[in-house]
Amino acid sequence: MFSFTKEQKVYKISDIKIGGQPGKHPTILFGGLFFKGEPDYINTEKNLQKIFNISEKTANPVIPDFFIRKEEHINNIINFIDSKLPKNVPFSVDVIEPSVKVKVLEYLNKKDLLSRTIYNSIHIGITDKELNALKKNTPEMAIILAFNPKDKSPDGKVEVLENGANLIENGLIDIAKNIGIKKILVDTAALAPGDNSGAAIAAIPVIKEEYGLPTGCALHNVVEKSKWLDNFDYAKRIVDASSNVSIPLFGGDYSIFGSMKMAEYILPVIAWQDILISEYVENYFGVSPDHYHPRRKLL
Amino acid sequence: MNQEYYPWGGEFTSCSQNGCVAVVLLNINYKPNEVVAIYGSLRTENIGIEKIVANVISNPNIRYLVICGNDIRGHHSGMSLIALNKNGIDDQHKIINAPGAIPYIENLNDEAIERFRDQIEIIDLLGITDKNKLDKTIDSLSIKSPPSFGEPYIAIKIIAESSVKLNDKRALHSKIIINYMGKIERRDK
Repeated sequence: MFSFTKEQKVYKISDIKIGGQPGKHPTILFGGLFFKGEPDYINTEKNLQKIFNISEKTANPVIPDFFIRKEEHINNIINFIDSKLPKNVPFSVDVIEPSVKVKVLEYLNKKDLLSRTIYNSIHIGITDKELNALKKNTPEMAIILAFNPKDKSPDGKVEVLENGANLIENGLIDIAKNIGIKKILVDTAALAPGDNSGAAIAAIPVIKEEYGLPTGCALHNVVEKSKWLDNFDYAKRIVDASSNVSIPLFGGDYSIFGSMKMAEYILPVIAWQDILISEYVENYFGVSPDHYHPRRKLL
Repeated sequence: MNQEYYPWGGEFTSCSQNGCVAVVLLNINYKPNEVVAIYGSLRTENIGIEKIVANVISNPNIRYLVICGNDIRGHHSGMSLIALNKNGIDDQHKIINAPGAIPYIENLNDEAIERFRDQIEIIDLLGITDKNKLDKTIDSLSIKSPPSFGEPYIAIKIIAESSVKLNDKRALHSKIIINYMGKIERRDK
């Protein structure tokens, strides 16, 4: 359990605050929707309400991360966000296909949703078209992915944030700032087991002390890519949920935990960890939890 | 040949050591005939491709790389692997003309990539998921029995176990110092 010397940035989007000294704000949880198949809007709406109710009980905000795989899904998914997601809830969009990214940004702008949008993510594969689309349709917040294929250590991750690691001309932080994005979250890029997966955790305090930016990662990626864990059917889900506790423990601010279906398991696990951290850091560093924090629910 | 023969672990199955065919599976639940040397799934257009290259050039008997199934949306990992074999990489280590999002090869040297391009002929079966068609193609390649490419090429080596004795406050990482209470400070350069 840590406290940082570097001043820590706290960003607000809709009603959610993210970042700061460990123990100040609850860990933010991003849950993925529409990874596979055709989007099921009816059940998603019902499930989201249930998850928001649990989130209210633990005081860990949940942000839906909408995976938009195909161009033909853009309008329906964004219309769903516009009409069904509570107006005080921000959301993130996760798009891989460069051409789809541009159209998603344009449609979010048209629907006047950019002030609630977290763009997931800007990485070294950014194209000129994506860059221009981001300049014209700038989201309120963006995640920058510190993935450096040639150096997966914390140093390599810092390098790609700082100067682009000779993979691209500029560092990812400058790229995001030059676009006009004022609220930047860093994702430490958790990789498969065998690919220095633990570096994503170790990089959290390094990046927080270096830049003061809200930092987190998707440790679910490590679990998902493990073939070995398939030998332990029942325990795999427990490993998936519990691995997220490393993020707040190492000073991180958010977790992208995989499918939203796991929210029920993850929310109490993370809330519990937030409580333990808060009790220590208040005692030793004088960091009182925000009025909206899991510890306030326990007391 | 046991699984350890291939230097870079991952989601693959090794079958016949002398087989001349390796099979890359993309979004497909298909188990090739045991005559193939190795088969496994591919997800990412960077590290995933690096693993395939390192593992197929470690077995000189492999001369054909069959790529089948439906390509990974956004990543275009199959197309990027084909582009690597056809075009190689540029000065930034980016696969030339690869359609993937982040098609960088950073963990293999140029020699390994050239070896891959020389040793391997790609059989592009992208979009094909029919078991019979795939079996037929793989069988026809297997009976060709092309000559071995020579010596194995070990592109990566597992780093020997090492330990570092820390006798100062450097904990976790060289950029930061953590005191006994958990206060983190930037370590002066």
